[in-house]
Amino acid sequence: MIKRIVQDRIYLLIVLLMVVSIITGIIFPTTFPTFTNFSQIFLNVSIDTIVAVGMMLLLISGVFDLSVGSVVAFVACLVAYFMQEANIPVPLAILLAIASALLIGLVNGYLIAYKEINPMIQTLAMMGIVRGAALMISVAGAQNLPYHFNIIGQSKLLGVQMPVWYMLLTVLVFSFLMTRTIFFRRYYYIGGNEKAAELSGIHVKKMKMIAFVISAGLAGVAGILISSRLGAALPTLGRGLELRVITAVILGGASLSGGFGKIPGALLGALFMGIIANIMVIARVSGYWQEIILGIILIFTLWLDKALLKKYSKL
Amino acid sequence: MQQLRLEHISKSFPGVKALDDINIEVKPGEVHALCGENGAGKSTLMNILSGDLRPDEGTIIINGEPVSFDNPKEAFEKSIATVHQHLSLIDNLSVAENIFANQHPVNRLGLIHYRKMYQQTADVLSELKINIAPTMLVSALSPAQKQMVEIAKALARKPQLLILDEPTASLTDKEIKVLFHIIRYLKQQDVSILYISHRLSEIFELADRVSILKDGKYEGTFQKAALTTQQLIKRMVGRDLIDLKPSSAKQSTILLEVKNLSGEKFKNINFKLHRGEIVGLAGLVGAGRTELARAIFGADKVERGEIKVNNEVLLSSHPAKAIEKGIAYLTEDRTHLGLFLQMSVQDNIVSANLKSARKGNFYSHAKAKELAEESKTKLRIATPSVGTKAQNLSGGNQQKVVLAKWLQTHPEILIVDEPTHGIDVGAKFEIYGLLKELATSGKGILMISSDLPELLGICDRILVLNKGTVSGELLHADATEEKIMALASH
Repeated sequence: MIKRIVQDRIYLLIVLLMVVSIITGIIFPTTFPTFTNFSQIFLNVSIDTIVAVGMMLLLISGVFDLSVGSVVAFVACLVAYFMQEANIPVPLAILLAIASALLIGLVNGYLIAYKEINPMIQTLAMMGIVRGAALMISVAGAQNLPYHFNIIGQSKLLGVQMPVWYMLLTVLVFSFLMTRTIFFRRYYYIGGNEKAAELSGIHVKKMKMIAFVISAGLAGVAGILISSRLGAALPTLGRGLELRVITAVILGGASLSGGFGKIPGALLGALFMGIIANIMVIARVSGYWQEIILGIILIFTLWLDKALLKKYSKL
Repeated sequence: MQQLRLEHISKSFPGVKALDDINIEVKPGEVHALCGENGAGKSTLMNILSGDLRPDEGTIIINGEPVSFDNPKEAFEKSIATVHQHLSLIDNLSVAENIFANQHPVNRLGLIHYRKMYQQTADVLSELKINIAPTMLVSALSPAQKQMVEIAKALARKPQLLILDEPTASLTDKEIKVLFHIIRYLKQQDVSILYISHRLSEIFELADRVSILKDGKYEGTFQKAALTTQQLIKRMVGRDLIDLKPSSAKQSTILLEVKNLSGEKFKNINFKLHRGEIVGLAGLVGAGRTELARAIFGADKVERGEIKVNNEVLLSSHPAKAIEKGIAYLTEDRTHLGLFLQMSVQDNIVSANLKSARKGNFYSHAKAKELAEESKTKLRIATPSVGTKAQNLSGGNQQKVVLAKWLQTHPEILIVDEPTHGIDVGAKFEIYGLLKELATSGKGILMISSDLPELLGICDRILVLNKGTVSGELLHADATEEKIMALASH
């Protein structure tokens, strides 16, 4: 039983989340274990999780994308520009903005997969380019977005905010795809051994490019959601998002060398960070400390993981 | 060195007793061969001598004095140098920096004395008749050159005991000759050599005495003169092995036809492969055999020529296409190109045909498991379960997993590249049996191998490649090692 929990990051995170929640619930019985607080936590992590699902896909295939935070901002600003300056109807504006995110993913994916540019350099460069483009489109940002747009992120279903539903849907759909479809199963092989995957008849380059497109597309969806939830689009949205998301995905069981990870891990990793952040707010820890503590938690988790695996993998 | 004695050495890992009461004595100036199947404990014993592992029990005695090593550095200090099977060179550094890793010659200020280092490197290399500049980067070397540099690295430490683990696995005949020459020279200098190899012919050529390990236990030490190959194999494997002969199941249907095929490393290749036939592809390392195989499989570009499968032209630009047409390619480098080491046996077995593991439209873990279990039984893969990671299997079982993976694609044509490279005698014979069974069932097999006895043993026909062209073809009845070597190296 212990072995199972230790070896599977999903179980480990669930246990860890329960333990942390119970202890916090005992210390702060009036503020922490409430429906309002938990729906707030889920709402806070929903955007991160949607982006993290795409990042999980990339890390499973052995690559990553640093430009997702910029894509979130760019899509938010672009959709606002389309609606307010170009008077394009809401649904079409959304489609065009997401299409532009897919195009960014395509460029990243093409250059990395076919031209063999290092993913870190390529997406770092793209991060700057896209952030610059976002600033260019919106300058100081856009407010008072149309009602029909804002309703996407601001309405509720069964008392729960819509972004939470979108997040759960994304996690469920991708979780199913990764475990049950031949197409997505191939990503584990690509991350496990790229050369062997190619010789096993997998079109590695094409698959990798598609992974970047999917991940950028999810970042685009996140951009739409965040701007509709805020009713505003700022070019500074999603700053630092890429690192937060990569942290969540690594916490969720992915490895930088590829081949490992499950989609629910992206949610649990993001949730873990969200709960810790929430606890610190409740406990009135200063904002500066929050970042430090999150960093320490990441290092500690990875160390614990290595230590436990070492101890139990030999049994 | 006077002598090295191992007394009652035992070592356990979780779940296995890797070494059980080993007693071996190596005399000065002796070439002492260590034989055993994979998993017999040879590597463990070697790692104990090189300071990588500590024995649980027992003593290592050098010159009558018990010693113990906590790390490889302490073993060096006792003049023991090891050439590991898996290369320990650093690709981005020069040959000289690799040879003098962590023991650079220094000048009076304690800084690295580059001129001296390059000079000393040049000396060692010329002694080994290796024609490489000391400043060359290791990444630019061929596998055989890397192996020679690895040996040079060990010799630069002027050892009294040299441990060689499968040193000839990636060497060509010419380099093997040089290596043997060096070994004999070292022997004259009273250096002791512990020689580990799967190639029994080398052991009979070089060794003075042979110690045999089986399942971690010591089976005894024998004078070479007192052993025959058959006896040696029997002691290692614990049973007699059948004699090799081809299955002779050749039918008249042509499965694969290659016409005037040219690529970067080969030109104008023509041959036919029939149903039920095993065709050998012999040649020296670098003769273009692997490149030809990769081109047929669509992994490398073809410059000119035609490949026909079942009389249908194959316009192959990607392995996916070749697999679809019924070609399978078992690569020579199973750990880097064949297996997904971190993934389970089951995931590996279905990797080339994920669609076979579908139930309805979707991938089914249960179906994949079922297929893997079938393969496990059929190929007698020794693994605790199909969920075990491929990296935890022995070489022979890993190779069976790769074979199982390709059989899962239901191929008509199997191209097997060094299928028994680095696997033990028992597993080798099992692989031969499987290949012959496949031929009998009507598949065509193209077998690349540098192990001539195995080509002579099971191939109906042998094509010899020399500098990228076919220099001759020998039928089973006429083929001899001499004829093959003459065609391969003229």
